Amino acid sequence: MPCRTETALTPYTSAIAMRSGWRWRIPLQHRTGNGYVYSSAFIGDDEARAALVNAVEGEEIAEPRVLKFRAGRRTRSWVRNCVAVGLSSGFLEPLESTSIYLIQAAISGLVELFPERKISPVDRDEFNRLIDMEYDRIRDFLILHYHATERSDSPFWDYVRTMTVPDTLKEKIELFRRRGRVVKYREGVFLDASWVAVYMGQRIIPEGHDMRADLPPLDALARSAEALRADIAAKAAQMPDHRAHIEAYCPMAEAA
Amino acid sequence: MNETRLIKRVAIAGGGITAWSAAAALKRRIPSLEIVVVSSPPLVDALADRIGNTLPSIGEFHSDIGLSDEDTIVRARSGLRNGTAFRGWADGLPNYVHAYGSYGAAVSGVAFHQLWLRDHQPRGRPFDSFRPADAETGFGLRLTIDLYQQLLRDYSLHLGVAERPGEVADAILRGADGFVEALLLTDGQRIEADLFIDGTGPRASVRSRLAEDFEDWARWLLCDRVTFDAAPPDANPTALDDVMATATGWEWRSPSPTETLTGRVYSSAHDGDAEGAIAIRQGRLSAPWVRNCVAIGDAAVAVEPLEWTNLHLAHSQIDRLVAMMPDAGFAPVELAEYNRQCNAEADRIRDFLCMHYVTARRMEPFWRDATSIEPPPSLAHTLTLFAERGRLPYYEEETFARDSWLAVLLGQGFLPERIDPLVDSVTPEQAESALSARHQRVAEIQPSYRGTFLQMGQSAPL
Repeated sequence: MPCRTETALTPYTSAIAMRSGWRWRIPLQHRTGNGYVYSSAFIGDDEARAALVNAVEGEEIAEPRVLKFRAGRRTRSWVRNCVAVGLSSGFLEPLESTSIYLIQAAISGLVELFPERKISPVDRDEFNRLIDMEYDRIRDFLILHYHATERSDSPFWDYVRTMTVPDTLKEKIELFRRRGRVVKYREGVFLDASWVAVYMGQRIIPEGHDMRADLPPLDALARSAEALRADIAAKAAQMPDHRAHIEAYCPMAEAA
Repeated sequence: MNETRLIKRVAIAGGGITAWSAAAALKRRIPSLEIVVVSSPPLVDALADRIGNTLPSIGEFHSDIGLSDEDTIVRARSGLRNGTAFRGWADGLPNYVHAYGSYGAAVSGVAFHQLWLRDHQPRGRPFDSFRPADAETGFGLRLTIDLYQQLLRDYSLHLGVAERPGEVADAILRGADGFVEALLLTDGQRIEADLFIDGTGPRASVRSRLAEDFEDWARWLLCDRVTFDAAPPDANPTALDDVMATATGWEWRSPSPTETLTGRVYSSAHDGDAEGAIAIRQGRLSAPWVRNCVAIGDAAVAVEPLEWTNLHLAHSQIDRLVAMMPDAGFAPVELAEYNRQCNAEADRIRDFLCMHYVTARRMEPFWRDATSIEPPPSLAHTLTLFAERGRLPYYEEETFARDSWLAVLLGQGFLPERIDPLVDSVTPEQAESALSARHQRVAEIQPSYRGTFLQMGQSAPL
């Protein structure tokens, strides 16, 4: 549901938890995009629509539309001479804005493995292996956002907080909880920093720490953290306001 | 959490390079540990303790633990090596070099080997004639084993590691949970610790007490004997080691600054038992870390020295051990992640070595057997994919870069059936001009590189 942008033009998207899901707020120059991603098992369409209308800031430009989706991926993206790219290969909710990444990953994979006259099953299988890996890793990352919650104020959050998660995610969480270790990948869209941001942000705080962290003296660490903080603050102070920067750098022509 | 007590005492069994490397790395990076090395001379079949040729990764290991090139190259009299020259591995084809760096020059996202397949291979120019120049190649060391071991021991003791000379007679296990409680030495002494590191070589004197879980790779890697020998040093040692195929395996020749080291690796099933030959059994433990005992070096993974990975594997295990040190609860989830990474790495090295044999071209009975084995599934996938169109799949924990795979595959004449259609986006002229731009850059850096090496007191093997 689009609205006029009346509040701050933030340089980030907001994902705000709701009773039966979450809603996004994406400020653009000419409007702010809003949406509510919810589980129909926990809330009806009308109620969800009302909840969204009630929550958004700014004058609404259009009525909310309801879209249904089924989260998941095809077991094989490439079958015979037909390759599914993007949404035709699977659907993951926009929680971490991965849709376009998945399109591009499929295109790069296809370019690299592009068949000539004859389609080789080996190329096809390798493509499917790569795409499946991308989907499954993003899946775990998305589930983490729901499962790692302290909310207990609605049946939806009670469900996701206590549900069984894939073993691959269970191990990742347990490993982080022990000593802050992030399962290491060299490929995949979300690397250590992303996982740590969500773990810490949702209060999965490790019980122990890497013993190497004991090596540098605490006061030296505190001094360098303070210097870093000051450095960031000084740089940030020089930055123009986000809206001012966009207006100067790439203003959009007035909508007709 | 059940147990939050930190690990305090660490006992390392073994007296070779592997054990002392672990001691130095742990003490340097986690000084709160109290470390004792229960030292005894390394056994003849502990290859990570005995093979002097190493990969370029050794440089990072040294800088991580605070050792400089002056210590490890000049004082320990190490030589420098840029790769391996493979001789006689493919009948009818020239010898080839596996150097540590990138071959040729990629253009606009098109890999060089695809351009080579189109522009150079048909004209008989070998892939390795485009190998990286010395200045662009990563260099590994040729260690002088006794000096290097002495350096690591001295450094460990300087850092505060304790040494207790002695032979492990037994590991005493706690009745309740099967954890190691203490090492019992042959002189009756008990060494207690929270964590036990087994660097005793293939016999794994400590770790083997907890579980017998060795996965044998003999069906993929047929060689099971190694012999060592030495000759006087070369007047002009080269930066490449020779690895020559023989009727029943291969032999090496490594000109180190102090002597020329040679050796032979072969299959006893095809060649009988030579006098003084050392038996090796290639494979790995299915779980190197069990409870409070972790095997490193040959105790965890035993492979022939074909691509000089023995000490690299030990370093990599030690790095993980430092980075993943758990607490005294030894949570299974933490050990499982350590084991997963170590096993993935070892299996991919196994694949890389096995690839040398299955793509070789020789006619003797040994080679007919070695080329007709059914490769491990991950290697089979690699070879099938490569045979299609020269693409190599990506695996986690891969030791050797794509160009290393290419150097051996293409060097042995294992060519893809088709050229990637992407090459059509680059003309031969564009490819050629990228190559000459690269040669130009190399010509500019080569002199200073040579100077650096001379400064290190080397006999300039360039």
